[in-house]
Amino acid sequence: MLPESPSTSAWTRGLARRATPFAAVAVIFAVQALADGNPVLAFPLYLAVVLLASLQLGRVESLAVAALAAVAILIPPLVLGAQTVDLAPVGLLAAVLVAVAAALSELRRQARDAAAKARQDAAGVLAREQRFRTMLDIAPTGFALTDPDGRWSLVNDRLCEIAGRTRDEVMHVSLGEITADADRKVLDEALALLRSGDLQLWEAEIATVLPDGGQRPVAIAISKMPAQPTDATSLLVQLTDISERRRVDRLRECLVAVRQVIVSSLSWEQAMPQLLSALAVHLEWEAAMHWAVDQERRTLRVRHGWQAETGSARGLVERSRGLSIVEGQGLVGRVWRSGVLAAEPDLEHVSDAERLDMAYTPDLRSVLAVPLVEGGAVIGVIELASTRARAVRDDEVTALATLGVEIGQFIRRSDVGQALRRSEADHRAIYERSPIGIARISAEGELVEANPALLSMLEHDFETMHENTWPELLHAYDQAASRHRAAPLLAGITDGSTVQIRAATGSGNWLWLQLTATSIPDANGRPEHVLLMIEDVTAVRDTSDKLAEALESQRAANANLEKLDKTKTEFLSIVSHEFRTALTGIQGFSELIRDGGLEPDEVRAYGGYIFNDADRVNRLIGDMLDLDRMESGRMTMRSGDVDINEVLSEAMTRAAGSATTVEFKADLDPRLPIVSGDRDRLIQVVSNLVNNAVKYSPDGGTVTLSTRTEGNYALVSVTDTGLGIPPDEIGHVFERFRRVRTGAAQSIPGTGLGLTIVKQIVEMHGGRIWVESAVGHGSAFHFTIPLAAANLTPLQLRHA
Amino acid sequence: MPEGIDAATTRPFTVLVADDNDVAQRLCKRVLEKAGFGVLIAADGLQAVDTAFRERPSMILMDVAMPGIDGLEAMRRIKTEMPSLPIVIASAHSMASDRERFLAAGADNVLSKPFRLADLISIVEALAAAAKQ
Repeated sequence: MLPESPSTSAWTRGLARRATPFAAVAVIFAVQALADGNPVLAFPLYLAVVLLASLQLGRVESLAVAALAAVAILIPPLVLGAQTVDLAPVGLLAAVLVAVAAALSELRRQARDAAAKARQDAAGVLAREQRFRTMLDIAPTGFALTDPDGRWSLVNDRLCEIAGRTRDEVMHVSLGEITADADRKVLDEALALLRSGDLQLWEAEIATVLPDGGQRPVAIAISKMPAQPTDATSLLVQLTDISERRRVDRLRECLVAVRQVIVSSLSWEQAMPQLLSALAVHLEWEAAMHWAVDQERRTLRVRHGWQAETGSARGLVERSRGLSIVEGQGLVGRVWRSGVLAAEPDLEHVSDAERLDMAYTPDLRSVLAVPLVEGGAVIGVIELASTRARAVRDDEVTALATLGVEIGQFIRRSDVGQALRRSEADHRAIYERSPIGIARISAEGELVEANPALLSMLEHDFETMHENTWPELLHAYDQAASRHRAAPLLAGITDGSTVQIRAATGSGNWLWLQLTATSIPDANGRPEHVLLMIEDVTAVRDTSDKLAEALESQRAANANLEKLDKTKTEFLSIVSHEFRTALTGIQGFSELIRDGGLEPDEVRAYGGYIFNDADRVNRLIGDMLDLDRMESGRMTMRSGDVDINEVLSEAMTRAAGSATTVEFKADLDPRLPIVSGDRDRLIQVVSNLVNNAVKYSPDGGTVTLSTRTEGNYALVSVTDTGLGIPPDEIGHVFERFRRVRTGAAQSIPGTGLGLTIVKQIVEMHGGRIWVESAVGHGSAFHFTIPLAAANLTPLQLRHA
Repeated sequence: MPEGIDAATTRPFTVLVADDNDVAQRLCKRVLEKAGFGVLIAADGLQAVDTAFRERPSMILMDVAMPGIDGLEAMRRIKTEMPSLPIVIASAHSMASDRERFLAAGADNVLSKPFRLADLISIVEALAAAAKQ
């Protein structure tokens, strides 16, 4: 019951309030009745009650009170019949009461309506203002009103938030005071312009200073408020926090910068310092390092580092350079193992045991490690370090992970590219500088390219080479190839076989060229072009030709030496045989003579044998010494005029005296001029030839001696009808110790030196000797001796 | 045959001298006859073969360097028919290797030219003594 008591009492009070007028009317009526007073007299009282009731109560109640009061006025004249009271005025009064009540009720209703309306209007205004305030406070933009000097008059929550201060703190500083020093000047200038009215709106991006000294980039817009009568100029300041936008911008710029470095660098080694600085500068890290995986030792080592000029991160790179990090060790090692980007946003919350990175100093607050990934493998890690604690956003993680892959691919690409470039450069250099001519031939047989060595080798420019020389070379190649049963140049795959051809240079020299053709297949294995290597092997060919010649002459010399050796052995054998044969007689018969007991005739005969053989030995020795002197050039000639015919006649006479089986004939040219020569030697020549002719005519025959003039020579011939010389021997008869030893000639004695001596003597006179022979028909020896020039005329005169 | 037996028993020891050098022929003939042997002469290889077959000498003193067939060929032919007939090669080819060559070819002895007369006689006498046994 207690909770209801207030309302109960209110209801009670309301009931009392509403009942009071009725009670007042009743009291007045009672008093009037008791006093039997004139109702007209009571009218003012009734009027007062009705007026009060009308002001106090509702319309119905007011009218009820008025009606009751009218009834109370009317009762006496009507009910009581009091003639003292005129009905008409009373009725008028009653009507006045009702009318007053009605009028007042109406008035009051109207007043109440107006008040309610006014109340309603005021509430609406309040609500709107509240909404605006809320809107201002939750707006992403900081709003403020300032005086023309930038002192705040009104700030919203967002502005306080941007300024990093409470509302009270903000109100204690001016706009200028929360602006970074670097931007103060432009701000002050803008405010001045706004004050002067030269500027209505100023927009800029500046930095605000946070209480901790950090800065926050903001977009600021200051505009003049419309002039208001109440105060002087006020400025509307709008601040927007653009640090997020800046961050995203930096991230984007970082991506752009990194990609730019990647596309503009030839090698990753060259690019890495720029990559590190691009990452660190754009993303506001103070140090960046590239850890590369050392494949052999399975460790990570710093290959490149970058650090800000100033700042607490200095020295990190130097400290890190000496380190070898194994897989899983520290942040960098963990990233290497996992291949996933990882960060320590705030090292203060990481225990020393977990850091595991000796290079970190207490200054260092946050680190970030990005794996460099290529083909699914981590080939390195980029570590970023800062002395500020900093969280890493998702978009940053995504961007850095992407860059890690791009840089990884770039490293691999540049390694491959570098190898390719090196290879390409090597090949280029080989092509350009090679002393070997190199030509590229299309599948159709066109000369596509010729290196400088080839052009200079053949002394042609490329045009001539292409138009004329190459088709000739190709033709020559195919001909040479077909000779060696090799395939033509363009007949498909050539296997690097070599042919040699002869080719003329531009200046007309002939070269030996060695051509080696190799087909270079295209991706489908079909020959795309032919690479032709052309070497000038002229010198090689010449050398090898000369070598072959030298070898040949060496071989010939060896053969000669062997022959000489054999001849020498044969000579010794022959000479010793001749000597021993002669000595057999000498020794045997002289032994007989010495032992005595012989008849005088016997002694005489034996002495003759001894003498003959001794003479023979002497001759042999003489021949050998002669030949040795002639061959060594030590023989002197006693030149003089010689009548060859006379020499021949004497020789014939001498021979005819000892050789009885042979007939001699002379066919001497009586006009033969005198020759110039050594008479004794010429006699030796003729005697030798005549003795040979007799010796090799064992069965008798004819020996003919003839002379005639042959130009400036005397031609002498000694012809026999003897055994003749076999064809295989005839070429050797003038060689020393060569004797025809076959058949009947075998037993014919001789030193084997006779014809050799003859030939030497003839040649020493400037003539020559030769032989014609047929086995069984005999031989003819011919020799020439130059005519004595000084005696030509007298001789001719003599024979004239 | 009776003639042959007669020859073998009653005829003196006969030496066929085959040499193309007449000085050598005369020397050998003179020396051997003085020593009491019979001497036949052949001036070349073919004559030597013929004479050997015809006259059946007790031994042959054979030169090597002769016209026609040489002494070695003659010796080969004679030894084919009469292998027991002693043949002594007497040659002016008297290098060390020659002696081996001649013995290998079938010679019973070798006499180098020039020779001492006593050597010739002792070789022939030794063969004659061997033939009497």
